[in-house]
Amino acid sequence: MVNPRKPLAAVAAAAVALTLAGCGGGSSTSNNASTKGSKGGTLYYLTFRPAEHLDPQRMYIGRDLADMGRMVYRSLVSFPVTKNADEALKPVPDLATDTGTSKNGGRQWSFTLRDGVKWQDGKAITCADLKYGMSRSFATDVITGGPNYILGFLDVPHAKSGLPLYDGPYKNDHAADFDKAVTCKGNTITYRFNKPFPDLPLAIASLRSFDPYRKDQDQGDKSNFAVFSDGPYKLQGKWDTNKGGTFVRNPNWSQSSDPVRKPLPDQIQFVQGLTNEVINDRLISDSGNDQAAVTDRVVPPAFYSRINGAVADRATQTDSPFVYYLLPNFNQMKNLKVRQALMMATDSQGWRNAEGGSKAAKPAKSIVNPSLVGYQPNPAFTAPQTGDAAAAKKLLQASGEAMPYPIKFTYNGGTPTSDKAAAALAAGWKKAGFKVTLDPLSDTYYDVIQKPSNDSDVIWGGWGADWPSIATVIPPLFDSRINLTSASNGQDYGNYRSDTVNKLIDKAAAQGTVQAQGKVYAQIDAQLGKDVAYIPLEVTQFYYLRGSKVTGYNLSPATNGYPDLGAAGVTK
Amino acid sequence: MFAYIVRRVVSGIILIIVMSLVTFLLFFASPIDPARFACGKNCSPALQEQTRKALGYDDPVFVQWGDFLKGVVQGRDYPSDPALRKTAPATIAHCPAPCLGYSKLSNDTVLNLVKNAFPVSLSLAIVAFIIWISGGIAFGVIAALKKGTIIDRGIVGISLVFFAFPTFFVGLFLYQFIAIQWQIVPIPNYVSIADGGFFTWLVGLLLPGLTLALFYMAGYVRMTRAFVLESMGEDYLRTANAKGLAPRKVLVKHSMRAALTPLVTMAGLDLASLVGGAIITETVFNYNGLGKLAVTAARNLDLPLTVGIVLLLATFVIMANIIVDVLYAFIDPRVRVG
Amino acid sequence: MTISSDLASHTADTSLGTDPALEPVAGRSPTQLAMARFRKDKLSMAAFVVVAVYLLLGILAPFGVKFGILDPFSFHSSAKYLDIESGSIPKGFMGGISWSHPLGLEPGTGRDVASRLVYGVTFSLTIALSATIVAVSIGTVLGIVSGFVGGYVDAAIGRLTDLTLSFPQTLMLLALSGLAVAMIVQAGVPAGNVAQALFVILVLGLFGWPPIARIVRGQVLSIREREFIEAAKLMGAPRRRMYFKEVLPNLWAPLLVYFTLTMPAYISAEAALAYLQVSVKPPTPTLGNILTDSISYSSADFFFFFTPAFLIAVIVVSFNLVGDGLRDALDPRGAR
Repeated sequence: MVNPRKPLAAVAAAAVALTLAGCGGGSSTSNNASTKGSKGGTLYYLTFRPAEHLDPQRMYIGRDLADMGRMVYRSLVSFPVTKNADEALKPVPDLATDTGTSKNGGRQWSFTLRDGVKWQDGKAITCADLKYGMSRSFATDVITGGPNYILGFLDVPHAKSGLPLYDGPYKNDHAADFDKAVTCKGNTITYRFNKPFPDLPLAIASLRSFDPYRKDQDQGDKSNFAVFSDGPYKLQGKWDTNKGGTFVRNPNWSQSSDPVRKPLPDQIQFVQGLTNEVINDRLISDSGNDQAAVTDRVVPPAFYSRINGAVADRATQTDSPFVYYLLPNFNQMKNLKVRQALMMATDSQGWRNAEGGSKAAKPAKSIVNPSLVGYQPNPAFTAPQTGDAAAAKKLLQASGEAMPYPIKFTYNGGTPTSDKAAAALAAGWKKAGFKVTLDPLSDTYYDVIQKPSNDSDVIWGGWGADWPSIATVIPPLFDSRINLTSASNGQDYGNYRSDTVNKLIDKAAAQGTVQAQGKVYAQIDAQLGKDVAYIPLEVTQFYYLRGSKVTGYNLSPATNGYPDLGAAGVTK
Repeated sequence: MFAYIVRRVVSGIILIIVMSLVTFLLFFASPIDPARFACGKNCSPALQEQTRKALGYDDPVFVQWGDFLKGVVQGRDYPSDPALRKTAPATIAHCPAPCLGYSKLSNDTVLNLVKNAFPVSLSLAIVAFIIWISGGIAFGVIAALKKGTIIDRGIVGISLVFFAFPTFFVGLFLYQFIAIQWQIVPIPNYVSIADGGFFTWLVGLLLPGLTLALFYMAGYVRMTRAFVLESMGEDYLRTANAKGLAPRKVLVKHSMRAALTPLVTMAGLDLASLVGGAIITETVFNYNGLGKLAVTAARNLDLPLTVGIVLLLATFVIMANIIVDVLYAFIDPRVRVG
Repeated sequence: MTISSDLASHTADTSLGTDPALEPVAGRSPTQLAMARFRKDKLSMAAFVVVAVYLLLGILAPFGVKFGILDPFSFHSSAKYLDIESGSIPKGFMGGISWSHPLGLEPGTGRDVASRLVYGVTFSLTIALSATIVAVSIGTVLGIVSGFVGGYVDAAIGRLTDLTLSFPQTLMLLALSGLAVAMIVQAGVPAGNVAQALFVILVLGLFGWPPIARIVRGQVLSIREREFIEAAKLMGAPRRRMYFKEVLPNLWAPLLVYFTLTMPAYISAEAALAYLQVSVKPPTPTLGNILTDSISYSSADFFFFFTPAFLIAVIVVSFNLVGDGLRDALDPRGAR
């Protein structure tokens, strides 16, 4: 996203216009990112949070998925390296010759491997490697922490617990089930699903869990930080979980076999454990190696006043994949009028100001991120961004409840910013006649809010789609059938339960195209708005600095808004 | 004497075993489920159960404690699932005896992780120690010699001010201003002597070392000053003075020697405590020593690593106590009776 | 060997070598003598005044908040007060200093910094004081019992002391925070900051008693041999009465000194714990969590950056000076 001030509507329109090449199987090559940087040099990636996994089937952090996808793990299809936001989320062929062929209303997909694609030891990537890679996700007692959609989607028999009977390549029970669902014919792999999976190319391009894995390199859990590359770089030595690691060129990768990546630096070095303040202080100073550095840590609001003059030229802002929102607890706040009053009183502007203003957060009109296919602003959220205390008070009075109405707001606290932001919301609610108790939790946050007996009235939540389809937002958050059990509310922290919504979710899942799904999801979102199942707070912003010697810098939706390592280079 | 040592060692071992149980009960009885965090997004209860199994937290606490003790003596395999051992032996990690546990989150044994972190904490402790002991003694002597003057009060006052500001504030202040904004020293970064040579190693440790030293120095300035003042008043010094020895010689030869002994004892204890890791300083400067390893382990709910570090540090303390007790017993035989 | 070495294990010895009057004055009790010596020590008296001011502020702040003189919670987050697009830094001189906000406004929210700091003193002192009371009480009781009863009880308490000293305190605080807070909540304490504060107090106190127990035990051993205890024993005074009634008055001097030196250590500890995010959390202000917030504003709002740290440093120095002054006054010959 080149222009940070680009209106959301334009992005949304682009997203709606997005057509998947999936059905036709056409191959497109779109690569209009400017690659004026020269080859060579070392790019530094300054960051705080250590990678939890480097195993492609276990990675689940947006940053790592994007970075490793550009450097070491190639997928059948990938999002292109482009500065054109309209193009960024259209998958293009990568390991595969095209973007896949689907049959049976999206229930069956086939991809053919490109010739000449190799592992870092020079051996060719085979269909068996692809199949083996997917099989690893089924070893749920070894390959933990990764995306698990495939466990429910692949057409294999399931046990009562909801898990497939097939338990992965290590124990290999019920292997025949898997062999039937995933088949290889020459260089062509075919997946069979138990429901339409029209957004499969989006999933493949976003995650790394569909990537191939070489059986002879697999040591199960021991391979968690092992990198066996098929991309332009390979890991030098071992990954240090405390410090990071350095990636160097992979001699067995060839540009001719890779239409996506334009690797420029000779080395990319990751430095972990640095705080936002230190990273951005260093980037502002712009000296030594930091001139060739990028980061995934946003500029802290305290530093905004220092981003001016030449430094401002090195600052870029874009939408992150994340939306923050509030969930009224339906076990507590049963009165619709009260929820409406809460929505009307919510000063989301104050919340965003406390977070640092428009460089930290932008208004959200839905729980769905604007970059997603099928995004539409939710018509229910009509209250002014600063809240309307008078209107809210009227609604609360009309609810028949005693005033002041006591509410407990539970949020993921512990940082000064989150606590200030929560206090801003509380101030708005108080004006409308609520009596607010703030309940900041840190370690115990999810344990508390996932208990169905949780007595919080309002709960903070944040979500980023796993791939740019609403199918990875609304069902996991609001389908009461998959979320609500006696022990836990899953991700439905507000204990929302609606048969109407559940039925519509089934209807959406049955659609054969992403566009058709999107239309149904818009309907569901409107229903959620009517019920005040959630109140959107913000689309979180990424506001990043970079060193002065970095070229081809691009914060792209293709790489979840993080710096695109498929294009970045370093001048001498 | 031998019997006394045996008695102390045995009671020390019992203390360590009791500690390991207490630590296990404290951490593994936690209502916070590490499996929930390790399981990732969209985690169903069935998946969470699988993750717990993968982490090895599915057994009752006492069984896990028993496995831990057995591991210390015999070594352990991770995961311990017998089915997996049969069908996919390549996926099993072995943790040789003495196995203090295996961190799934870091894919390494606790002992290896500690081994990697230890040199960082040790280096930091040594550099800090040199700064504070030389600074503390030098300023203490100057203050004593200039007793009652503005210099005396200035030295004691300033050292007290550095002691009083919170360590993380001093550390961040030095980091942000001296290293980043004014660029007086390079950005602090630990480079081992083997990798970068002595000078690079030392430069990398200057700011964090100074941060720690400023905190400790106040006590040493004050103590040196008091010792020097006290011993200057003693008879043999008066004698030396009367004999007509030069004042500087009196100071160096007599009063310093008397003052140094208790100082060295105290410094030894402080140094020993720092070797176990300086949590705040290592966190502020992003040094991967024992302190930061411990913080990371606690934050990430890495139970085996947390328990391992707690036990290791506790064992150090217990061992040090035994050594001190035994030494005292050598010096003063009466101790043995009690 | 404690991992908390850079947290607050040290109390600096700070007296500037002033020589309080040593000559006993006829006709005065030892306490009066000590007080007279303390009053002559100008530096300690100055520090005492500072401590008294902090205590007074701490006590009065809740009333100030109640009657609206202090306002630590109201937002002034509109564009009139804050520069919204530059990270919500307060507009105006030195972080928005004005008559109504003498120490300026808090970046991000526009809350009154002076009110928050004064109210923060209340919470910081409450936490430090409570933790000190817990540590001193446990230490005193165990020390007296250990010193008097001797034998197996003494040995058992000795091992318990070893066990407690062996645990790395800061690490335990960090690692246990989630668990212990959950348990405190289960025990019926309101979740959130009340439970969090109780956790900090308990852990500081429960790990802090061993040095006090050792001091007290040593004192008891020496007192035990003195004649008045022998006399009490001969007169058949019951044991429990003897421990506390006869011995305690002789312990108050070392305890008072220890108390004044532990307070500043715990004030610093609260700040360090706030930095590690296991202390009381905003919006409830403590000096520690205000400081933790302020450290990122070193360049944008230096005044806001420096004030909380300065307030902590002043109270820590003052408490230490008072402690040293007291030690010198109460036991002039024992002063190093």
